[in-house]
Amino acid sequence: MATIRAHGIEAPLPTGFEGRIFLRPAIGAEVTYPVAHFATFSLPAEVGDFGSGAVNLMGVSDIFAALFEYGPESLGKRLFERQGMPRALTTVDFRPYVLRRGLGGQSGTQWFFTETGRPFSLYVALGSHLRRSALVPRVNGLLANMAIGSPTGPAGAYAAPLAAGAGAPWN
Amino acid sequence: MVALAVVLSVVVLLLAVLVAGLLRSHADILKALHDLGVGVGEPGDAHDLTGSHRTSGPASPAPVPFMTGPPLPGERNSTSAPTIAGVAPNGDALAVNVGGGGHLTLLAFLSSGCATCAGFWNAFQRPDELGLPARTRLVVVTKGPELESPAEVASHVRSGLLVVMSTDAWTDYEVPGSPFFVLVDGESGRRVGEGVANHFHQVVELVRRAEVDAREMTLTSRGRAFSDGLDGPERELANDRELIAAGILPGDPSLYPSTLADVYGVDAADSAVPKRPTDPPDATDPTDPSDRKSDLQPTIDAPIRMAG
Repeated sequence: MATIRAHGIEAPLPTGFEGRIFLRPAIGAEVTYPVAHFATFSLPAEVGDFGSGAVNLMGVSDIFAALFEYGPESLGKRLFERQGMPRALTTVDFRPYVLRRGLGGQSGTQWFFTETGRPFSLYVALGSHLRRSALVPRVNGLLANMAIGSPTGPAGAYAAPLAAGAGAPWN
Repeated sequence: MVALAVVLSVVVLLLAVLVAGLLRSHADILKALHDLGVGVGEPGDAHDLTGSHRTSGPASPAPVPFMTGPPLPGERNSTSAPTIAGVAPNGDALAVNVGGGGHLTLLAFLSSGCATCAGFWNAFQRPDELGLPARTRLVVVTKGPELESPAEVASHVRSGLLVVMSTDAWTDYEVPGSPFFVLVDGESGRRVGEGVANHFHQVVELVRRAEVDAREMTLTSRGRAFSDGLDGPERELANDRELIAAGILPGDPSLYPSTLADVYGVDAADSAVPKRPTDPPDATDPTDPSDRKSDLQPTIDAPIRMAG
């Protein structure tokens, strides 16, 4: 099982998945935060934070997942009050209308949460709502072993890149 | 005069002792070298190449390791194509799954410093002019940041070029040196070609041949709808169109075979099935028509050397 880790996120990838954990270049005074993409198909070079440019390439058996970190100003907000990333999704969590980009037949789910003091959104799109019973276990296989480190913790050299590149306030 | 003769004799004696000592030392060195394996590979010692250690006799050569890297995990072989996981030159994490999908992946194992690689790095600055077949994904793999300079690699990378720094990938794919190219067929998830080249157009030509070979095999074994990536109702529709074009309309008796002779013809069925042709095919019966498709699958057990 291949494992990727960067910016305080570690993801062992189940067979068939590929992924990226990256920090978008900041424009001007903008502060950017880590984004992670995971997919069972070839991710194109340029993908929007929530999969634009990629979800339209999905086949019916494909999965796309995005983990998007928000800034510390989001901490404590009601939207992020859930503690911990959901690790075991069910088929009822996926709805055809929960899609950032409505594509026929697809299905999605989105969760906002805080883990180890970092606010995140998890967005998952399935290639086929009808096949969600077969696809959701694969999603859970991806989420089960994913690890998120604390802003100053040891997970994946998180503090160093942000301190040097984005200047996160807690560093 | 006598004194001079005595002195000369002593000098000659000392020189003789010195020469004898040198000869003895030389003999010790030769013996030590021989014990370390010098001479292994000579025709008379060919049977010792396995690295087995002979313990009988003083001239036994020491075992010589022939591994150039750590052994591959047990589940992998010379054609497996594991996921490439590493980092980008800017520190982001990347994992590229080369299996799955109907595309080919060309892995270019390059270094930032090798002279031959410079031509490839330059060629990759203009990806639109590479001439790779459609549905071929180019991934450049360098060694990891512990062995390669991320800044040097970054200086070669233009936007859109996928570069993964991963020493593990070099081990997984048994890369002997740079430049080195590996072609992976996504559908089978296996390496279908690997080798070295001096110019990228050589690589492109070999990729094209591999793609044509793969397409012909797919068309023969799975049908056009499958090779075009169709699935579900679209695939059924495409199959229906092909059947109609071949004159096979709904209700055609050939769509409802009751015997193997209906499928393969009387002669073929007789030769292939010497026993009861009317028996329902057994799940393990090698004459089961559903198994015949496997005869047409590509069976590439060894990588095809692309170029020397």
